[in-house]
Formats: sequence, structure tokens, C-alpha cells
Amino acid sequence: MKVTLNWIKEFLDDYNQNKISPGDFADILTMSGTEVKKIENIGSKYENIIIGKIVDFINHPSADKLSLCKVDTGTRIASIVCGAKNFKKGDIVVTALPGAVVNGMTIRENKIRGQISEGMMCSEMELGLSSDSEGIMILDESFRVGESFSKSVGLDDIVLELEVTPNRPDCLGVIGIAREISALTGIEFKIPEYDFDKRLNIDSNFIIEIEDYNLCPRYTAKIFENITNIQTPLWLRNRLLMCDIRSISLIVDLTNYIMLETGQPLHAFDKDLLYSNKIVVRRAKEDEKIKLIDDSTRILDNDMLVIADEKKAVAIAGIMGGKDTEINPDTKNILLEAANFNGPSIMRTSKKIGLRSEASNRFEKKIDPLLTLYAVGRFEDVLNKITGYGIKGCIYDNYKKTERQRNIVLRTDRVKQILGKDIDKNTISRIFTGLKIENRIRDKNIETIIPSWRYEDLEREIDLVEEIARIYGYDKFDSIPTTVTGRRGKYTGYQKAVREIRQSLCDIGLNEVINYSFCSIDTIKKFRLDLEKEYSDNVEILNPINEDFRYLRTTLLPSLLKNVRDNINHNIKDIGIFEISKIFKKRSDEDNDTLPLEINKIGVMLTGKRVQKSWSEEERNTDFYDLKGILEFIYDKYYFNSILKIEESDYKFFHPRINGSIRINGKKMGIIGKIHPLLVMEAEINQDVYYMELNLDDFVNNIRKEKKYKAITNFPSIDVDLAIVVDEEIKNDDIVSEIKKCGSSLLKDVRLFDIYRGPQIEKNKKSMAYSLNFREDSRTLKDAEVEIIVKRILENLGKKFNAKIRE
Amino acid sequence: MIQKLLKNWLKLQRKNLHKIMDEKEKIDDINNLIESELVNFTRELDNVKSLSELESVKTKYTGKKSFLTVTLRNIGSLPVQLRPIIGNKSNAARKKIEADILKKEQFLKGIEYEKKLREESIDLSLPGRGIKAGRKNIISSVIEEIEEIFIGMGFEIAEGPEVETDYYNFEALNTPADHPARSLHDTFFVSDSILLRTHTSPVQIRYMEKNKPPIFIIVPGKVYRRDYDVTHTPMFTQIEGLVVDKDINFGNLKWTIETFAYEIFGRKRKVRFRPHYFPFTEPSAEVDVSCNICGGKGCRSCSGSGWLEILGAGMVDPNLYKFVGYDPEEVSGFAFGMGIERICMLKYGIDDLRLFFENDLRFIDQF
Ligand SMILES: [Zn+2]
Repeated sequence: MKVTLNWIKEFLDDYNQNKISPGDFADILTMSGTEVKKIENIGSKYENIIIGKIVDFINHPSADKLSLCKVDTGTRIASIVCGAKNFKKGDIVVTALPGAVVNGMTIRENKIRGQISEGMMCSEMELGLSSDSEGIMILDESFRVGESFSKSVGLDDIVLELEVTPNRPDCLGVIGIAREISALTGIEFKIPEYDFDKRLNIDSNFIIEIEDYNLCPRYTAKIFENITNIQTPLWLRNRLLMCDIRSISLIVDLTNYIMLETGQPLHAFDKDLLYSNKIVVRRAKEDEKIKLIDDSTRILDNDMLVIADEKKAVAIAGIMGGKDTEINPDTKNILLEAANFNGPSIMRTSKKIGLRSEASNRFEKKIDPLLTLYAVGRFEDVLNKITGYGIKGCIYDNYKKTERQRNIVLRTDRVKQILGKDIDKNTISRIFTGLKIENRIRDKNIETIIPSWRYEDLEREIDLVEEIARIYGYDKFDSIPTTVTGRRGKYTGYQKAVREIRQSLCDIGLNEVINYSFCSIDTIKKFRLDLEKEYSDNVEILNPINEDFRYLRTTLLPSLLKNVRDNINHNIKDIGIFEISKIFKKRSDEDNDTLPLEINKIGVMLTGKRVQKSWSEEERNTDFYDLKGILEFIYDKYYFNSILKIEESDYKFFHPRINGSIRINGKKMGIIGKIHPLLVMEAEINQDVYYMELNLDDFVNNIRKEKKYKAITNFPSIDVDLAIVVDEEIKNDDIVSEIKKCGSSLLKDVRLFDIYRGPQIEKNKKSMAYSLNFREDSRTLKDAEVEIIVKRILENLGKKFNAKIRE
Repeated sequence: MIQKLLKNWLKLQRKNLHKIMDEKEKIDDINNLIESELVNFTRELDNVKSLSELESVKTKYTGKKSFLTVTLRNIGSLPVQLRPIIGNKSNAARKKIEADILKKEQFLKGIEYEKKLREESIDLSLPGRGIKAGRKNIISSVIEEIEEIFIGMGFEIAEGPEVETDYYNFEALNTPADHPARSLHDTFFVSDSILLRTHTSPVQIRYMEKNKPPIFIIVPGKVYRRDYDVTHTPMFTQIEGLVVDKDINFGNLKWTIETFAYEIFGRKRKVRFRPHYFPFTEPSAEVDVSCNICGGKGCRSCSGSGWLEILGAGMVDPNLYKFVGYDPEEVSGFAFGMGIERICMLKYGIDDLRLFFENDLRFIDQF
């Protein structure tokens, strides 16, 4: 919300005696909870621009389109060359003298086609007042020649952009801000007062019918007849302009002006375009249509409130007026509306039809119903000052009074308990008085009566505690250390493990990415996730930003592949990345009220060269075993005496044969494989990509890390190398487990150290060479013992896999 | 010289052995000869610069023809009573010479080995053989940094679901359906009552439901709002904090936040508490740190104010305690919440929010 400083000052008595600079003013407001986002000095934009008078002019001797003017600047007569033609002798004009900045250009004395020009006469556009660039701006006789332009038209002002918090509807107007400043500084708050008592509902020429007082507690209206249709005075136009509101016509401008000032939205109808002398505030009919001032047509429903005449809706209550009854150049008689609507209802309607306005924004926050009458009074007052309309006629007011006064007792002990500081009760009382909260000290308590405009936000004792802190000043409270007795900050085992794993993966050269949790139906289909039981059942967002964000991810794979592609596009081709994030899965039951499954996953993706070509090494592309090595690395860190197995699987997004499930101690914990080459090609990636995804929750919650000391023995061990030839299909895991089975407890380690395929052995066969390590912990092993075991191993391998010793 | 003297002396001995035997003073002569032999040896050894020089010194003083060897070989020809005296003396001298030579030999060998090693130079400036460190995501590192600060102050870490019920995300946080503050949170919905959490605050309620005071927790996590432009991403990261205990007050809140801010931004920054409004805290505050670019004078980064907003905080609204069955007269507490991306931006001068989720390795690699 924007307000201007001069406007606020109108409601503060003797403000200028207090010598508060605009910066200090902004600080005071900011430190009270209404943050000043921006301060803009409007007046400084109009330096050296003054009111001038054209005393004479002739055609430019050497340019047909230009005139040579003599302009009275108050102190002297200046010569100014002008290109416009819309002026005559004696016109009052806006004159930019040398040094002024117009449209970003500094005005200088110069020669135009041989004639000296000592300034420039400005158009409204050049002055930033409107988009009107047709000719220079001509002012009326009331302006005094030689005076500063900005001062003459109310632009010598400071604009403050405020962030009013949603609990303070009373601050949504200039008057509210002035009241706040008064409480903060002690400067006296003063607003014009009006007496309506003798004018309320004194006739029944106009009827206001309210269908539901819950939705519309109050509707105040006044008819103004035979309005003089004059232009909005410049000062008023400029105030609106400074607050980002476009001038439309005097009446519309005035409704906006009074809204900005009081916080009460007003609407003016062309009374002659209403069907009769009756307004009905009612719910819209299903599918009722209305064309609004902004030329849009809206289809309404029964939840929405409209203002209607006896035929049709003429406004959506509290949001926007209808086109059919809007003020137009021919308007003679107007009906001014100042109503109070139910905030939540306005908020729902505004959300539903996707339209927010200055009015709806205020109504949403639950403004004070006592404001309507005052706003009508202000409107009448200002209109009278401009047009001499007078203060007269009936004010129609339909108001079902509700309680707007509240008594709260504040315990000073409670203030100390919450704020940690003893604040003297007289100080508290003074703070309340400044806020116009009536109060009385009773012992250790203070009894208060809350004014109507704070009725919504000051409900409880704690609300008063906040007021005290706010006005007293947050900076005046000391910092008090909390005591640490009896507690110790720490990570849980789970949290610690997750952070360690993250660190470990970084330590072995992987970079951590974080992606949005969303994915699109396209992605789901492309990766054929809908066909995998594990990866379907995506949670759907009902109101996504766009289709890319419609579902929540069930796997991190597509996001990481996208990261790989994006980085390859930046010419980074050798990539190792991981992500630790939650995935989401609908629970199997159809119940809409259960939260989905959330599982922490860790996804690792490798592509490109694993070893770079360098002065000392040959380059090497990433393959499956690089990824498996990473898996083994983190597995080894957390799983003692355990079994890690990769089980051949059939995930559609993996290469049909490089496609595995990860099992640790028999429990499935993830997947590992090569991304299907077609998927990779589709992503326009020209290199193999490997991916592994672990269920981090399962992985961490099943960690086996019992630590138990076992004596170190120094009895020598015996190594035996053993090479066998087997069929291609025979798997290493099977051979190793067979070797281990026959190796007895003496076999401590089996290590595959070579695989050979080639001319020395049969086709479709491979030679596998293992190094076996035997040891007995309590004595020195004899060669003969080992020989027997090795013989048994070979026999079994022969039986089971048709393995032959490679000679 | 000595050699000659020695030879003469030996000749004389063989001829006049019995004569010498009588002449005790001749023993002194022999002793003197051995002494001077040692002196000469030491002097020559000191001048030895190489193993080959050492070899000739060794031959000269311990070889077949050396004075001591000759003396010892001919000791039998000395009178019986002189033999032990001369013999001991000569043996001792010989042992010392041999030991000194060995020492010198080791010393010279060391020097020569060193010389050989010096020829084995490599180019130390060649790059090492590759272990490249990866990088933690900046968001993770800053979260961990913040976690450590609070763990140091006795906090624990709590977590909660990202898909939440309306109850935990709004209702129990004093923000019923028609509350005006709801318009500040544009929410993603999964159903009428289920949504993507718009802040980490629902964990406050979940945690209080399951635990009794004292509560000192922080809650990091992803949150979602339906906003997507230059300054908003539909997902971002928050850290929430909650303290509830007997006698927790606004001064404690100030201390905790100040301690945090000094740790993360440095002692030189000023911290300011400014009144604000949140539905679930009262009194509420926004907290600013002084702008590091202009030092508080006002510049473009701080839009002229000299301050940069870092977080929202406040005393827990007593209403919340009713939702979780605490007695608001018995306990009090404070809560705070901050956007991690914003903290990262302020800490490292990052000017584009979108960088956080583009996962450009050229960005990730910088932290
Ligand atoms: Zn700054």
C-alpha cells in the first residue's frame, strides 16, 4: 500500500514542529510492525520546474513548426522555443528551467535553430502525470506564476510504500497510519468529525434490503443529485497517481481517494441506471452473469454475494462494480455505497473468480463496520470543498449492530512472563492510552476497553502483550541466554548416518543435486513408471503450476537424468551426481484422507569418463562396476558380517540385462543398472548412463554395525591361486559362494583377480582366476591341509559348474 | 717419517733387545710413538673427503705395514714384562682407529647416497593422480552449518512429512480456513484436506503432540508454494525452530536468534528485531541483519534500508498449546523460521534464486 507523507500529516496536529525527517518517520513505522518498503521523494523530481505565464510569442523566424515564446517565470521573462501549438497569450504553463530533469534529460539553455531557448514548456506526459503528450499542459488562472510546480499541484511529497500485516485492517488507510504514528510519537491525532445523527434514515425514498446480515452487516448509502461534472483537481489526481491509482472521473477518483484515506472501500453507481430506488444485497443465483467495470463477464454461484437492483446484479459485493451502472460522462445522479461485508466470504469469492481489487483486499481483512458512515461523511466533505455541493440530505443506513466493544484484563505478571522484562504499569497504561485503548490500573492488573477499529485483532491478553512490546520497542528488550541444564543437542542415529553418507559420497567425487519433487505425466510415461508397481501411484496435485509439476516423484531417476542432460549441454560430460530426497507414493487404499508414503531415497548417477586421460593414465569410460563400487563402498561402511547381492531384474527403464535389484541380507533396498539406451537417446545424451537408487530409510534403519573385538592372530596364512574355465553364463557370485561353502572356516577370503577370454580357451567359455586365503587362528596351517580343501573345492566346482582347471 | 723412525727403531730392537729391556725410558718412547700415530691418524681422517681417500687412510693405519700392525705382529720379540703394556696400548689405539674409520665410512656413504638420491629428481608440479572431491549441495551445507550452531545450543533435529493435512499446516497453527493470512500462502492441494506443506511449522504441532517440554528443536525441510517467477520457486527449503519450556521469554528468543545470526553472518553484523505478524506467534518479529555491502548506510542490495531480512520469529501463540494439550499458563516458548535459499543468497552473494534448483555443476562446484 502506498501513502504520502503530506496526506498523513493532515491528520496529525502540529506535525512539522516535531522535525521528524522522512527517514525517521519510515523507521518509526517500520519498527512498529508496518514495514516501509520504499521511500520515494516525488518533489525532488520536479526541481526547477515552475509555473510560468506566456506573455507573448511569435513564430520562429527559421522554423515553421516552432514558436518563440516569452515566458514570465515570476522573476524574469525567459525566451523559450516551443514545438507545441495548443497555447495562447496569457496561458499558465508548466516551465522547466535550466537544471530541471524532464523525461530523464537535463534541461539546459541552448540555441534552437539560431534562437536562444532558456527552458522548456512541458506536456502532462513529460511531467509523468498521464500519457497525454498532445501539446503542453495548460493550467487555470488560479496558479501563481513563479511558484514551484510540485508545490502548486501537491507533488512536493514523499511516497511511502507500506507492508500492512493482515491483522491490521485499521492501517489500510492514511487515517489509520496517522493514528499509529500518534501512538508511537505522541503527536496528537486529529480527524474531522461529522454529526450524522439528524440525517440517518430520515426518509424512506431509498430502500436497502440485506438478505443475510452475516454476509453484509452494514450497508450505508447516500444519493447525490445533479453532480457538477468538473475535472478532478490536480492535487487530488496527483495524490491518487502517487498511490498508483489512475484518475478516471471526479466521482470515481473521490471514491478511491476516500478509500485510501479511511480504508473503507466505496462504490458509486449511476443512480439513474438502477432499476428503482432499491438496493438488494443478496446471494447470486446459480450461473448468474455480470459484466464488470473491467469489461470481463463473470459467472457467479450461490456462495457469492451481489449488490442488485430489483432486476439484476449491479456489483459483486466488495470486489467490483458492474459495467451497466458505472459512472459515465453523462451521469447526473449517483448512489454512493459504503458497505461492510463478511471478510471470509469476500476472500472465497475473490479467489474463486480470480479477481482481487483494492476493495476486496480490504474487506478480506475484516474492516470495522463503524467506518462506513465516516467514509460517507468524508466523501461529502471533500466533494463539497471541490464543487460546493453542500452537506445535505438523507443518509440511508442499514446496520444490524453487533458487539464491537471488548474488555480485556491484562495481568502485569503475564507481561513479565512473556517478555522477560518488568515494564512499569504506568508505562503500560500510557502505551494503551496512546493506542486509544481506554484503560484503568487495578492493582497488578490493567483493565482495558478495546476500540472498534481494533476489535478483530485485539481479542486476548496476549494481543495486548504484543501491543506493549511493539510500542515499547523490540530493541529495548535485553537478550537473555536460555539455560542448558539437563539437555544435550545431538543428531539421532538416523540423521547422523544420512549426513555421513552424504559426506562420503562427496568425498569420493560425487556432487549433490537437489531437484523439485514434481514430475509430469510425460515423464511417467516416457520412463514407463506407470508399468512398474514400485514406481507408479504418483500423488497428483490438483492445482499444479503447469503440467510439468502435476505429480510428485516416485523415483529420483528422471530428475537426475535431466541434470545430466542439462550439464552435458553445458559441455560438462563426465558426471557423477547424487540426490538425497523424499519420494512420494499414494497408499494402496483409496482413502483420500491418508497421507501418502514418503520415503527418503538416495539416487546416484554416473556417466562419461570415470578416469580422465592424463599424463599418467589412460582414460576409461564409466561402467556398471564403477557404480557397484560406490554401492559397495557405502555398504561396507555400515554393514558388517552381511551379504550384499545384486539380483537380476527387469525394470523397464534399465538396459534389459544390466538391470539389478540390490539386496542386503536378503532385504531389497534398491535398484542398480544401466539406463535403457533408448531413454538416454531420447534425452539427446550420447553416452551410457548408470543409475542406482537406494531406499535410504531401509538402508539406515537396518545398519549392522555391532562392533566386537576379535584377537588379532599372527599365525601365517597360505595363499592359493586357482584358475578355472567355465561357461560364459556361470556367475561369479555362484562360484564364490560354492568356493566359500567348501572352503570351511579356514578359508578367510576369496578374491577374483582375473577373467580371461580368448584364443587359449574354448569359445563361449571364460577363465576365472581366484586367490584364496587360508588361515587357522590358533595354529600354523599345514600345506597338506590346504591341498585337501582346494582339491575338494575343485571337485565341487567341477560337479556344479562343469568347471575345469586351467592349465 | 714415522714409518722410517719405526723401522729404525725395530732394527735397533732386534739387535739390542736386552739393552732396551733395561732402559725403561724406552717404553715412554714407544708410547709416544703410538700417541703420535693416533694424532696423525685423526688429522688425516679429518681431511678425508671420499670413500677412496678413506681406503688409503685405512690401509696406512690398519694395513699389514702399518705401525700398529707391525708392532703387534712383533710383540713377541719384546721383553716379557713389556709385552702387556705395549700390547694393550697398541690394541686400544687400533680399536679406536678402526671405530673412527667405520664411523667415517658410514658418514661418507650417507653423503654419497644422498648425492645419488639428488640425481633422482621429478617434476613436483605435475598434477597428482586423481581423487577429486565432490561438493555437497550449498543448501545441504548451509542446513548442516545451521544445525551445528543449534546443536551447540542444545537443540535436536526433528522432521515431518512434506505432504500434510490442512489441520497441521493451517488449522492447528491458528490459521483457520477463512483467515486472511491464508492468502499469503498459495497452496498446492492433493485433496480438500491434504496439501503440500507451505512451511515447516506443522512439525511444531506434530512434535509437541508427541513430546513434553522442555522442547528445543529445529526442523529443516522442503516446503512448497504455488509461486513461480524470478523471485519464487514452487519448492524451497526452510528451517524452523521451536523452544517450549517453563519461563521462556522474548529475551530468550532475542538471545537465541542473535547468537545464531552472529555465528552464521559474523560478529560484525548488527541484528534488529522488527514487529511483524504471524498467525501462530505473538508477539511476532521479523529479524534483519545489517547489510554487509553498504555497512548499514543503505544501498541497492538492501533497497536503501541498510538491513536485510533473514527470518521470522515470535513467541508461540498460547492458542497452539491448547491444540497439543499444554497449559499455556504453565509453559511459554518461541518459534522461528527462515528460508535457507535466502540465507545462502545473503551469505554468498548469490543473486538468482533459480540457480538453486537448476543443478548446474558449474554452480554446485563453487561451494
Ligand atoms: Zn546495503
